Amino acid sequence: MMAAPNPGLARAREDDDRAAARTRIAVQGLAKRFNTSGREFVAVDDVSFEVKQGEFVALLGPSGCGKSTILNMVAGLLPRSGGRILIDEDTIETGTVNPRVGYVFQRDTLFPWRTVEQNIGYGLEIAGLPKAERARRVASAVEKAGLTGFAQSFPRMLSGGMRQRVALMRTLILEPEILLMDEPFGALDTHTKLEMHKTLLEIWERERQTVLFVTHDLGEALTLASRIILLSARPGRLKEDFDVAIPRPRDPVAVRETAEFGRLYSHIWHSLGEEFRRTRAD
Amino acid sequence: MAKSRTVILFWQLAILAAVLVIWQWGFEWSKALLPRAYVPKILDPYFVAKPSLIWQSFLRLGCFSDTAGFTTCIKGNDNNLWLATLVTLKNTWWGFLFGSASGIAAGLILGRSDFLARVFGPYIVALNSIPRIALVPLVILIFGLGDLSKIATAWLVVFFVVFFNTFEGTRAVDRDQIAAARLLGASEFTVLRTVVIPSALAWVFASLLPAVSFALIGVIVGEFIGAERGLGKLIIEAEARANASEMMVAIFVMMFVGILLAVAVRSLQSYLLRWQPQFEPSA
Ligand SMILES: Nc1ncnc2c1ncn2[C@@H]1O[C@H](COP(=O)(O)OP(=O)(O)OP(=O)(O)O)[C@@H](O)[C@H]1O
Ligand SMILES: [Mg+2]
Repeated sequence: MMAAPNPGLARAREDDDRAAARTRIAVQGLAKRFNTSGREFVAVDDVSFEVKQGEFVALLGPSGCGKSTILNMVAGLLPRSGGRILIDEDTIETGTVNPRVGYVFQRDTLFPWRTVEQNIGYGLEIAGLPKAERARRVASAVEKAGLTGFAQSFPRMLSGGMRQRVALMRTLILEPEILLMDEPFGALDTHTKLEMHKTLLEIWERERQTVLFVTHDLGEALTLASRIILLSARPGRLKEDFDVAIPRPRDPVAVRETAEFGRLYSHIWHSLGEEFRRTRAD
Repeated sequence: MAKSRTVILFWQLAILAAVLVIWQWGFEWSKALLPRAYVPKILDPYFVAKPSLIWQSFLRLGCFSDTAGFTTCIKGNDNNLWLATLVTLKNTWWGFLFGSASGIAAGLILGRSDFLARVFGPYIVALNSIPRIALVPLVILIFGLGDLSKIATAWLVVFFVVFFNTFEGTRAVDRDQIAAARLLGASEFTVLRTVVIPSALAWVFASLLPAVSFALIGVIVGEFIGAERGLGKLIIEAEARANASEMMVAIFVMMFVGILLAVAVRSLQSYLLRWQPQFEPSA
């Protein structure tokens, strides 16, 4: 796929290179044990990795390997059993919210009693942003998400893809520098998923947030990410770390035709297959 | 959809007319046609009055047929129909309001705090198992024959119903929605205001409709047992005179009061819960 030279993007890349040394997320020796009916259950065991400024990292692993658990600990939603997590060199405290971090859930967490625009504007509203300013930013977010005409609709009137776009915008409107996403498109059909990939790639290639994206879908990880961290089956351990050297801007369909995609796909597939077999053997 | 609205309305009116006709003339007809043993007692106007008598009682109690004129009649009677209705309606309303407000508040607090829920849980269950009617004489002893004891009785019936539903509703709030709100910057109080309350509201309203009827029952029972005014008092007075038609007047007025309150709660409900499919405003 040939990318037309884009001066804005070239500049963004240079900025990246200059800031390359800056680590935004550092996970060190992270562990999580659950106590279920008296028995101790190790969900995550000694996981360490780093995410640098402007990186798009996919956390890939079989279902139940502890991906959501890791992400929730990074978000400060879940207490750790061991290890450290640093965001911008500060250890995160469970229960305190970092305004630089945005989170998109695996499950639909829109507020069903709020309209699309009220959902998108939620963060700005509770931050006390003046009404006029809020309306302006919400309107632009609604347009960016391709939801024009649905601003007054309640979530139940929307399709799954539209709902997930609202959820994405509800987080992005607060302009987080770090974006944690937990299989945000896991519940969508293939076509809608590709559309969402397109939307997300457009936004990310423009704004270059630091992204940690959890998925069990290899194609999705290769389409979106610059780096893939592969986790082993339960308990989640770090298995391998791949760079995805597919040029940007990427198109979610065309990207599948590239040689790099094919090469990485079969390589990681093999590795992932071992883990799926291990999951089943349990 | 097969039957149109007019057909439904026709049958509704037909049933109403049939009931009124049988009520009015049924007893006389059956006396004339049937052997004595088969005449249905239930139609005896001595017990159930009949529409024409009820209408006359209504005009009399409502001061429409008084020779002294409407105003003099109203002033002359402390428990005339209108004043009685007003008193019952007012006490029901306040009892309902206080009962549901305190029930919602207690439900939210205990629903959000595991500690308090465990401390107070057994007490609430114990208090709730007392039949509320048994407490009415005590309430009247404490608060007297006036309005306060009626409001307190209504409060007693309403509080627990609303409390339990609010509590359950608060417990059922989606944890991920709360987490989402927190991650978007909401404080504990903002979470309560913008997520827990709206989400528990469906549960709260599910109890408010029965609660409004319960409040009316509470007030009427209070008026039966000891009162100076109100529709319940009117019934007790009519009973003393064995006047079925006056009782019927009070019963019908209560029915309208009940409908009025239920409609008020229901329209508030369909406005506040308009995001739910079953309350979708139909075009
Ligand atoms: N609160 C909890 N209590 C006990 N066990 C839990 C809890 N949360 C998660 N687990 C267990 O930890 C393991 C990892 O769960 P997690 O949700 O992180 O998996 P995942 O990788 O996100 O899977 P999926 O791709 O299906 O979402 C699972 O086996 C799960 O059963
Ligand atoms: Mg998960």
